[in-house]
Amino acid sequence: MRNRIIRWTAWALLAAVLIAAPQISGRYYINVLVLTGIFALYAASYNLLLGYTGLLSFGHALFFGGGAYATAIALSHVQNLPLLPAVLIGGLAAIIFALITSPLLARVSGTAFVMLTLAFGQLMYVFCLKFRSITGGEDGIGGFPIPSFNIPKIISIDMSDPLHYYYFAMVIIAASLWILWFFTKTPLGSVMTGIRDNPKRVEYLGFKVAHTKAVVFIISGFFAGIAGALYALLQGLVSTDGVLTIYSSFMPIMMIFIGGLNSFFGAVYGSVIFTILDEVITAYTQHVELIIGIIFIMIVMYTPTGFAGLLAYIRRKLRSRYPFLEFLGKTS
Amino acid sequence: MDATTVMYIVQGLNGLTYGMILFLVSSGLTLIFGMMGILNIAHASFFMVAAYLCFTVLKLTGNFWLALLIAPVITALLGILCERFMLRKIHVYGDMGELLVTIGISLVIMEGVKAVWGTESHYISVPTILNGFIWISDVKYPVYRLFVIGLALFILVLMGLLLYKTRLGMLMRAAVLDADMVDALGVNVPLLFMFVFGFGTWLAGIAGVVIAPILSIFPGMADQVGLDTFVVVVTGGFGSLTGAFIVSLLLGGLNAFGIQFIPKLAGVLMFSFMALVLAFKPMGLFGERE
Repeated sequence: MRNRIIRWTAWALLAAVLIAAPQISGRYYINVLVLTGIFALYAASYNLLLGYTGLLSFGHALFFGGGAYATAIALSHVQNLPLLPAVLIGGLAAIIFALITSPLLARVSGTAFVMLTLAFGQLMYVFCLKFRSITGGEDGIGGFPIPSFNIPKIISIDMSDPLHYYYFAMVIIAASLWILWFFTKTPLGSVMTGIRDNPKRVEYLGFKVAHTKAVVFIISGFFAGIAGALYALLQGLVSTDGVLTIYSSFMPIMMIFIGGLNSFFGAVYGSVIFTILDEVITAYTQHVELIIGIIFIMIVMYTPTGFAGLLAYIRRKLRSRYPFLEFLGKTS
Repeated sequence: MDATTVMYIVQGLNGLTYGMILFLVSSGLTLIFGMMGILNIAHASFFMVAAYLCFTVLKLTGNFWLALLIAPVITALLGILCERFMLRKIHVYGDMGELLVTIGISLVIMEGVKAVWGTESHYISVPTILNGFIWISDVKYPVYRLFVIGLALFILVLMGLLLYKTRLGMLMRAAVLDADMVDALGVNVPLLFMFVFGFGTWLAGIAGVVIAPILSIFPGMADQVGLDTFVVVVTGGFGSLTGAFIVSLLLGGLNAFGIQFIPKLAGVLMFSFMALVLAFKPMGLFGERE
């Protein structure tokens, strides 16, 4: 009981901080915060594949970028498209891409899976570069209208104001993260971890491995697409270099490893740490990837469990020394 | 000869040149993959480093042949350092860690190159002997590209001799098939791994130097060639040199004629080809294991 109270207090505190943060920080940091949230969702959706199902994909930008492009294209062609459908279109486009690719992807595993996802990601990249009548080629798509959040006759909130967009994006991100978290706790989520640990055994138990993989792929893709749509609305510009390069696919991998592979919130920690690193390093040098690359190598080599592993370690230490700190939660 | 035939021959030769360069890069990658079981994402980055090193050596000495000799060797040393102090340390944790470390290395090299040599493109010219064109009946073709094809064939023969006529080559082939068994027979497998990694990066280095005058040197060249080599290694079959050779030439041709006939989709062709092969043969055309 005490445990639960403390946990809810912690969540309430976090919510309060998130609500208050944009009031204190400047306009620039509001956008940084939204971007962190978007990448947290992107990384968390990816972690469904990597951390839970054990599938390493090099093409998750297909969904993130595909979602961003779908939202941008829909907004620039459909008059008066409302806000929520615009975000949903990003997710739905990602679902369509996942449906197209999953018949091939669900059947293979290991390196073949890695390379196939890489191939699909690159196919998308090349398509978006070449079909400039739809995607604008290298220039990307910009200048599309940002719709307001509208409930007819009740309320209309202008989303081009960063502060309003911050609250809107944070609600969507929090809801999506909660759904993802909930999904990992369902029976299907357990089958997922089963596939990661021993696919043959899962098959013997009567579960369909390929089907499950495809479902996970679609769900993961959907939320990456939502993250992409939010990204498009935040930046007001979608370009191949921004959302579809191989670096966009590597980013969630790095975030997850920095944050911790075997923890749901690892992806969230990772994106926060990644953003802080990015901001700090940018202040000193323009070669951000150089430093991030070195840090990434160090993390993979020396602390394979990432930040979440470090937290668990500290918790364990504290609890064994001061038993009254039991509320810190279980130390799996 | 009419213009169409000439076009076909020229494009065919262009495809052959690119295919040969692809083979130089991907043969190293496929050897490393077959033996160590990891896909070295940084392989193409070493290829790029060699091109930049060639630029620097040329600037200092003005001698292309010296650059062709030195740059790949320095690249190979760099590769050996990465293997010895990063990949070997993490080998025990399994494939995923090694793959991620190579991603990190490729990032570091990508930005390191920008930090040292700047983001602009560098151009180098070919030595005077190889400068100019040669007429093969009605077809006018650059001598340098023919030289590249010749050099690649020479290295192919050299590699064949090394792999099939020496004890070291025998051990390498054995380790590609089953590294554990070779280890059990008392061979110093870590040393062998290090040698193969160095040899693979040396091959990539040669390719980087010879492609530099054709492609110019820029920070994105690793991505461009790197993706092509992944396609070669994956479709050719993991660890299969024959597969790498055949698919390299195939892709070279696909690339050259693709640019000629359907320029819009030239980039798509290759990946579609790979997706198609993997859909039916997940271990590649000539691969024996996954």
